[in-house]
Amino acid sequence: MSEQFELVNLELKRGESLKIKGALSGNAKNFSFNLGKSATDIGLHFNPRLHENTIVCNSKRSNNWESEQRSGHMCFTPGAEAKISIKFNGDNFEVKLPDGHEITFPNRHGYDKMTYLSVKGDFKVKSFKYE
Amino acid sequence: MAAGIVMNNFSLKQGHCLELKGLIPKDAKSFAINLGKDSSNYVLHFNPRFDHQGDNKKIICNSKEENCWGKEQRETAFPFQQGAETSICFEYQADHLKVKLSDGQEFTFPIRMPLDTITFLCMDGIELKSFSLH
Repeated sequence: MSEQFELVNLELKRGESLKIKGALSGNAKNFSFNLGKSATDIGLHFNPRLHENTIVCNSKRSNNWESEQRSGHMCFTPGAEAKISIKFNGDNFEVKLPDGHEITFPNRHGYDKMTYLSVKGDFKVKSFKYE
Repeated sequence: MAAGIVMNNFSLKQGHCLELKGLIPKDAKSFAINLGKDSSNYVLHFNPRFDHQGDNKKIICNSKEENCWGKEQRETAFPFQQGAETSICFEYQADHLKVKLSDGQEFTFPIRMPLDTITFLCMDGIELKSFSLH
């Protein structure tokens, strides 16, 4: 895994979305998007595990992981480009996958805005956009 | 200027372009976009000034190496408006960066320190709307 892509002092408020486009490496197994306040306080950890055909979502509070939410939906292909949109609704996050499928995850920490994003693993960010 | 966005570990390689779109605040006096390796090393400090430190509607460019600023370069192109969005393209070449402004005007700034890949971006006084590598 290469060093992680990291964005700080971002300002994603309720009702806003972040669209991220990137490319999965040819042997991609795993990547994650982490959205929250910092590397240790994460509201949404979105982690597709290609080899397990599973998307794991979780949150992290003071560097401690909380309870996982798993979905058996997998639509990522190694070597392909992918576009993912994350909408922050206040109560929850709505993640729209490249095939249109949506996964929601609760805003467990009641954050009013997200200021931190990191992308780890086998996904290379090419562009992103606020809406 | 409020603390702006900081981006680490992306990859702008030579021959490629970074396109940024941002919103300039209504009361902006100046804003800055910095590209380089980290907060002490900028290949390019791109600093349009509406009215700041004696400069009126000019772009000040510079580099910073181990926290030491280089020699300033001033550009008179100024297609920026307070309260409006703008789009800026940075094309990374071996010996220069070509800056393309929203009205089609272009200028270049020399690469003063060799850097294979630009991996760091920070912005002050402008709200980032989109980021795109080509």
